[in-house]
Amino acid sequence: MRSFKLGNAGMRGVVGSGLTVERAIDFASAFGTMVDGGRVLVGQDTRSSSNMLYHAVVSALMGAGCRVCDAGIMPAGVIQFLIPRLEASGGLLIGGGHQAMGWNAAIPLASNGSYLNFIQLQELFDIYRSRQYRQAPWNGIQALEQIPDDSIDAYLDALCKTVNVKAIKKAGFTVVADFCNGSGSILADRLAARLGLKMIAINRIFSGVLPHEPEPRPRSAAQVQSVVGPLNAAAGFVFNSDVSRVSLVSDSGEALSEEYTAPLAVDYLLAKKPDTRVVTNICSSRSLDDVVARHGGELYKTRVGQAWAIDRMTELGARIACEGSGSLTTDAWIRGFDGFYVMALVLEYMAVSGKKLSELATEIPRYHIVKSSVRCQPSHAYTLIRNIARELKNEPKVSVIEEDGIRLDWEDGWISLRAASTESVIRMTSEARTREIAIDREFHMRGLIEKQVGGGA
Amino acid sequence: MKFRQNLKFGTSGVRGIVGESLTPRLTSALAAAFGRYVGVGRVLVGRDTRPSGEMFEHSVVAGLLSVGCQPVLLGVVPTPTLQLMVIEAKASGGIGITASHNPGEWNALKLIGRNGTFLDELEAGELFDVYNQNDFNPCRESELRTMWRMEDAFATHQKRIFANIDVEAIRKHRFKVAIDCCNGVGAVYSRAFLEELGCEVYAIHEEPSGVFERVPEPLPEHLGALCKLVRSKKCHIGFAQDPDGDRLSVVDDTGTALPTHYSLLMTADHVLGEHPGPIVANIQTSMNLEEIASTYGCEVAYAKVGEINVVGKMIEIGAEFGGEGNCGGVIWRRVTPGRDSFITMALLLEMLAMCRERVSDIVADLDHYSTMSVKFPCPPSTAREIVREMTSRYAERRLMTIDGLRINYNDGWALIRPSNTEPVLRLTVEALSQERTEAFIKRFEAELKELLDQFNQTP
Repeated sequence: MRSFKLGNAGMRGVVGSGLTVERAIDFASAFGTMVDGGRVLVGQDTRSSSNMLYHAVVSALMGAGCRVCDAGIMPAGVIQFLIPRLEASGGLLIGGGHQAMGWNAAIPLASNGSYLNFIQLQELFDIYRSRQYRQAPWNGIQALEQIPDDSIDAYLDALCKTVNVKAIKKAGFTVVADFCNGSGSILADRLAARLGLKMIAINRIFSGVLPHEPEPRPRSAAQVQSVVGPLNAAAGFVFNSDVSRVSLVSDSGEALSEEYTAPLAVDYLLAKKPDTRVVTNICSSRSLDDVVARHGGELYKTRVGQAWAIDRMTELGARIACEGSGSLTTDAWIRGFDGFYVMALVLEYMAVSGKKLSELATEIPRYHIVKSSVRCQPSHAYTLIRNIARELKNEPKVSVIEEDGIRLDWEDGWISLRAASTESVIRMTSEARTREIAIDREFHMRGLIEKQVGGGA
Repeated sequence: MKFRQNLKFGTSGVRGIVGESLTPRLTSALAAAFGRYVGVGRVLVGRDTRPSGEMFEHSVVAGLLSVGCQPVLLGVVPTPTLQLMVIEAKASGGIGITASHNPGEWNALKLIGRNGTFLDELEAGELFDVYNQNDFNPCRESELRTMWRMEDAFATHQKRIFANIDVEAIRKHRFKVAIDCCNGVGAVYSRAFLEELGCEVYAIHEEPSGVFERVPEPLPEHLGALCKLVRSKKCHIGFAQDPDGDRLSVVDDTGTALPTHYSLLMTADHVLGEHPGPIVANIQTSMNLEEIASTYGCEVAYAKVGEINVVGKMIEIGAEFGGEGNCGGVIWRRVTPGRDSFITMALLLEMLAMCRERVSDIVADLDHYSTMSVKFPCPPSTAREIVREMTSRYAERRLMTIDGLRINYNDGWALIRPSNTEPVLRLTVEALSQERTEAFIKRFEAELKELLDQFNQTP
């Protein structure tokens, strides 16, 4: 397994082997060079390695002459909200997000709070590889600042202005929230008070240890699922460790696929204002296609990753950007995915419609998804995917998209093949109306790949 | 660009110019190597007030964490406080972020072993081997420990000092004291420390900014402002600290800055009265110390220049008191394991309280040696050759060869020693009279020049 990756989300790796203090220092020095010693906001999640990486990047940024502003343990969305508010040149977010224990990342953020786009990222990597960094002289080093005391309130004020707080408050929901011992619980109580929620928060201890797989999905929702019924809660929310992703558990105790988070929110947003543009990635469930089509909206698809989706949203003047991983934002909110915003939208939907979450969920068209991977050296993966695309040219199908790997669409489903960014595998996602079709297609495709790999690839 | 050497690995640590040679990257790697060298565990981190201190504190913490150490942050503290706390906290070691008396553009990591003393030559060599190996085997996330902060470490240090001096006797005199804190750690602690001893305190350079308003080395020629303060406020004594609070120089009650040797001479005179025993000084220390020691029937042993060498010798021969006369460094191991300006101030005040004399009178009672120094630019290898040659030429005299060559006479000495920090050979001479000193200088200067010419001619 690879343990280090420079990619869409900046620098990512396994702590100790791939992501080391030395590399974090170089990376932050490069970022400090790129922003030319400007103000940089630094936030972290609760993982035990995050604090080590925090010290590394703070010293490097100070060395580059940056004014470093420390946000401490803070969800990604709050950091992304604060960067433009504090007129910072950018930010560095330390946190593993949805990745397993042992991994971590340093995510560079632009002055508008978004992830760096492709061009900015290339510039940063060029500086990083050149190893020529800005170095402030001894009397040009600036002391560490703290974020203003009212920062969390400012975030909550803004969030409450964006959603219908009155309706949510009136409904007086009881909800269960699982923070995966991540940064979310830092403002959970205050958010609950603002929205008039009775919030039962679990896994809210900053132990540095993740209580379960941090990727929000049905199998990490087990703990929430088991208490939603007994507590008579209206909904359950499973967040990742930096609150950028969320999956839902309905009042009936069903753990909904993370793929349904965005369609559910989009269903509501488009009902209010149909005929809008929505951006998602190439691998997201067709549920979203159906929901957007139902409201007469336009759906655009990008490569996988927050940076691509939000960059395209800005470029197109689209209203919504989302991914099947359980993340979403709109042009009315920040330039980043924010689980708290999604939670508020879902609650607003429930409050305004007067329906239960289990009822709303039935309105989302459902498909069956099969995800799997095939071992393959990264050096061969791209050629292999290309070969397969050529081989499938004459298959009866609706369309081929080659935005990120390859995606084939049929009337009743689709399949996508991508070279994974952190492992030597090709990831396959097969979705169809029925489980049988999805499995069938996956089986067929696996055969094609294995033939290629076996044939001297 | 012109080459300038600005990084120095030595026994007192690693020193460099901030942003040029001393970077977050180098310091975090060095901290990681140190963590591996001391065998993981708890490592205390302290710093002086320099603007780059906070930055290096972060890089050192990151480096220590990466190899599984538990960094314990003391914040801005004197170096002797850090040394003492390494022992008190049963830590594996300590890292002091301070370039001591060097100008503001410099900073350094001072490396402290588990017994509170700096690493000696062998230990530093082993550490640098680990550093150069370049693979510190960083820990996985599950093996990482968390950082701690230790508040108010200086309180422990102060308590320890007060337990070893007669605080009440000092308090009774309500001394008027002037202090030059040099915008360093003294700016944080010295006023309260002296006020606790009942002093009326007048301080200058008291903002702990790390931007030094005075040349940070406390040499008499840099203490004009303090001398003026002593005169205008009619103080009993004036103290000048360096930025990390290990060295101290004294200004007498007439407002005259005393040569740096007097800090050690006066405290030795005072301490030996109550605690006689062998003492250790570095080879550059005034002969006057031997005279003072002999009045108490005590011997002076000599060590190479550098705190760790003096301390090492003290441990070897079981000495409790010693120091480095030439730089105002006083060591009393009963209290702290290294040079300590705070114990120096406390001892001097105790001395004043006991003997009821003015500083200027005490100084007048001592013999007055005069010293002079000249330096010759010269590559280190040639410097060593010259020392060798001089050693054989003067073989029949009383020589000390532990660090360069010191030729002893009944009323003085001459020291020929390659510098540790610059490519120069230094000649230092001390004698009882100015004329005698000048004569010595004249004679050895001529001899060394001649030798240098010879070495320069032979290819």
